[in-house]
Amino acid sequence: MRIRSTGAALFAGVALIVSACSSGATTAPSVAAPTTASVAPSTAPSTAPSVAATPAPSSALKIGVVTDIGSLNDKNFNEYTYKGAVAGATDIGAATPGSVVPKSSTEYAQDIKSFTDQHYDVIVTVGFNLTHDTIGAAKANPNTWFIGVDQAPCVDPTGADDTKFACKGDAKTLLPKYISITYQEDQAGYLAGMVAASVSKSGTIAAIGGTSLCAPCIRYIQGFALGAQSINSSISVKTAYVTGDFSTKAFGDPVYGKQYATSFIAQNKPDVIFQVAGATGNGILDAACSAKIYGIGVDVDQFLSYPNADTCIVTSAEKHLTNSVEATIKTIGAATAVGGPQLFNASNDGIGISDFHDKTSLISADLTTKLATALAAMKAGSLVTCPATGCGVYSK
Amino acid sequence: MDGLINGLYGIPLLGILVQFVGYIVHIVPDISPLLLQAATPLALGALCGVICERSGVVNIGIEGTMLASAFVAWIVGVTVAPLLPADPSPIFGITPTLLIALVAALLTALLISLVHAWLSITVRADQIISGTIINIAAFGVTGYLFQLIEKGSPTSAGAFTAFTPPSQLVQIPLVGWIFNMFLNQGPIAMSVIVIVIVMQVLLFRSRWGLRTRAVGEHPRAAETVGIDVVRLRYRNVLAGGLLAGLAGAFLTMEASNSFQTAMTQGRGFIALAAMIIGRWTPLGALGAALLFSSSQAIAQSITFAPPGGDLGTILTAIPAQGYDMLPYLVTIIVVAGLIGRSIPPAADGQPYEREAAT
Repeated sequence: MRIRSTGAALFAGVALIVSACSSGATTAPSVAAPTTASVAPSTAPSTAPSVAATPAPSSALKIGVVTDIGSLNDKNFNEYTYKGAVAGATDIGAATPGSVVPKSSTEYAQDIKSFTDQHYDVIVTVGFNLTHDTIGAAKANPNTWFIGVDQAPCVDPTGADDTKFACKGDAKTLLPKYISITYQEDQAGYLAGMVAASVSKSGTIAAIGGTSLCAPCIRYIQGFALGAQSINSSISVKTAYVTGDFSTKAFGDPVYGKQYATSFIAQNKPDVIFQVAGATGNGILDAACSAKIYGIGVDVDQFLSYPNADTCIVTSAEKHLTNSVEATIKTIGAATAVGGPQLFNASNDGIGISDFHDKTSLISADLTTKLATALAAMKAGSLVTCPATGCGVYSK
Repeated sequence: MDGLINGLYGIPLLGILVQFVGYIVHIVPDISPLLLQAATPLALGALCGVICERSGVVNIGIEGTMLASAFVAWIVGVTVAPLLPADPSPIFGITPTLLIALVAALLTALLISLVHAWLSITVRADQIISGTIINIAAFGVTGYLFQLIEKGSPTSAGAFTAFTPPSQLVQIPLVGWIFNMFLNQGPIAMSVIVIVIVMQVLLFRSRWGLRTRAVGEHPRAAETVGIDVVRLRYRNVLAGGLLAGLAGAFLTMEASNSFQTAMTQGRGFIALAAMIIGRWTPLGALGAALLFSSSQAIAQSITFAPPGGDLGTILTAIPAQGYDMLPYLVTIIVVAGLIGRSIPPAADGQPYEREAAT
């Protein structure tokens, strides 16, 4: 009798937590331009005479940024994207962009709508999580520019988000003003792999991705392995993915990430570990610090974004979010923008690795030279950083 | 899946079983400390459930209590850290900050348990509802405050560090890994085994234990022999709350060093499952928690260090979700009574009404 009721209650409890999770509070978003950002559009006298001769650019474009959950100064996607939008606005002489920080994932759509309702001309949405709602908004507002950062839309023939991933529609023609910014993660991973191989003493390094369904994660890791082998052809690169689905474990569970990585380190014994797993990866960096081995961060400079692991972070494989958003806004300002996927890589300063901070002493002059050579070769397009077949495809 | 089917057709099961045992023997020494670490929040949560339910109060709110304590431990730690000396002591990396944070976590849990006790004992509200309210409230309040305070980049007040047992002890053949498992731990994980043994003895060998069980089985009879049912239930729910609070503190002060929205991730519910599988006994609860943590650890190992041969083919053919499902599957099997019977205290979940004095 009682067993059943405890069991049923247990189940009901889980169900309630799950439903509580998906039905967040729906308060009206407040669109506010932060006062901290610089507003003056190039009224300051310029020192370069050639620039001083041309009139300061001005643009009537209204730019809005919808970030992911969190805050505007997260030293992560939200902050660097917003900085890029501010820089782009300054470049073209537009007003400082407005911003909304959604409080839960259920608010993405209405926060984007709050900008379209106010007739904003350019709306920047930050991160993979907003892809679905950005597609919807781009379809409903064909005259508004959308910049989706780190988004790879998959649409059906009507231009709606294809949740079955058949991707029969061509996003570029169906949503002609939706610019989806993607990055060549394998190049950033390649540079990180070079650093890892050079810092490693044991000859075994590792990379852990969030989920084997995440193509960018796989590209990071494939690049990482190739970069490491370019420094030391006999190096052993152990790789693993925390999970095979998009559950919280993949990118949102640092406690699990730490346990997973502790176990991984105990069995594979790497002395450098590259995390490609978001907040789960922060736990991986913690595990690296506890095990007294080096860690490499991902996407942004994690020495700044995750100071808890500063003792062991050597560098981070970075997406240059600010650069790419700024450049994209400039093309819109100059009326040269085209919709569709926009790839950022070494050739347009879209990727790189972070500063070594207090680990600079680990970096040999030889490595610095090799990194510069590799970056130059990537810019020239002569360096292969991803396997010719199966780039971004998971294989066991 | 093809691999699995081919594997099942082509291979003698006995050979596979031998291989599997060999694989476990091979990996366990490496991951043994982790088994206890992953089991710690489950075991502490389950112990909370055992104390509460043994005295007749169902506590579904373990998850929420854990989450709230985890949050308070973190926020108090971050707040007081700049005001206090930060030199960690050589043992467990204890700092004054961490001790204050731990006390704050326990007080939080005590407060929440008091609410649960008041609702379910004094007010005689439905105990399941009371626990559910705690879960939902803890989820919402911590999530909201976290976003308000945190601003995205995780700050930390540090964490307890693990004790390193002498290598001579750990390297003893055959049993060294057991020492490693229980000694290569931070203070909270290390205390679990002590708490379990003390609880087991108290529950079955002490006056308190006898009274607790009596109150959980037949409160009216207990009352007639002079036991104050209400008071004992209050005390037990509060004591249980302390254990859930310790589990919460473990998450932010030992298993990681900062808070994350909804970071308990259902551990409070799995703890309830561990309590049921452990048949409402402390040792059983620890055993069940270890069963869950080892199934998780073995599943992890299979992803990054799979065994060779046919066994590897079979194990890697099972998707990760298959392994994730194991704790729940075992719970269903046990609750359905397929493996033994798991019988709860008779008065579990029933509010007690004192007989009116005549």
